[in-house]
Amino acid sequence: MWAGRVDEGYVFGGLSATCVETLKGVPMLLESTDERVRARLLPDACDEDAGSADWQRHAVPELERLFASRAQLVRRDLAGLRKLGKSDVQLLLIPNSHVNAWLAALNAARLALFALNDLEARHLEAEGFAQATLKQQEAMLRIQVLAEMQSVLLGDYELESGGSMADLTPDDADDDP
Amino acid sequence: MFVFAATKEATETKTAPKTSLAPPWNVIVHDDPVTLMTYVTKVFRQVFGYAQEHAHRLMMEVHTNGRSIVWTGAREQAEMYVQKLQAFHLLSSLEVVDG
Repeated sequence: MWAGRVDEGYVFGGLSATCVETLKGVPMLLESTDERVRARLLPDACDEDAGSADWQRHAVPELERLFASRAQLVRRDLAGLRKLGKSDVQLLLIPNSHVNAWLAALNAARLALFALNDLEARHLEAEGFAQATLKQQEAMLRIQVLAEMQSVLLGDYELESGGSMADLTPDDADDDP
Repeated sequence: MFVFAATKEATETKTAPKTSLAPPWNVIVHDDPVTLMTYVTKVFRQVFGYAQEHAHRLMMEVHTNGRSIVWTGAREQAEMYVQKLQAFHLLSSLEVVDG
């Protein structure tokens, strides 16, 4: 996977089938009804009973609407995934105006994968990967892929920039530019 | 004149305890092993308008101590901030300031 900056936003290329599958899971994870995911994405804000009931009644529905709207936006951008050239690797454009929504959605997806696979902090430590089950290891790799995309959007990496999406050639799809 | 004085007195007796019954609330952010540190800093800047250095210091406090008080004030506003932090998926909660 590589990333670059174009006038319209951030472009991610060289996306393998597994990367694309991981990305397509993001909106589903954001809208997951699994109790473990809901407990993490929609936690209680305070300990007292009355406050907690108010929170569930007022804040949670608003947050659910926000997450659903983010999921829709991510789905729309993913629908724009395109192939350049003959290979199966694909390009994704995240428009500048969608960056904040993507950052939050990627974070939600990473937290949801963590919760759904019963991962613990110890799994993320140096020797943790080897102690995880195969299913957990796969989840950890997906969490890492999504973290790399988050880091790009956060500006943690220096990216090549310039030009527009229309300037990209078939060779850009699978090779590092 | 007499009525006015009585009303004023009654108002004062009613409002004084109300003020003392509204303690400030803390907005707490808790550490989680998944969320990226630079993301936490960005969210603090975006939600509270904190400068980069202050946001970074609070993020480091969350990371090293497991939690940080990121804002203190009236309950209604504290609830609004917690909702905003949860909108970005930061593990956050409210607690009343002791004493």
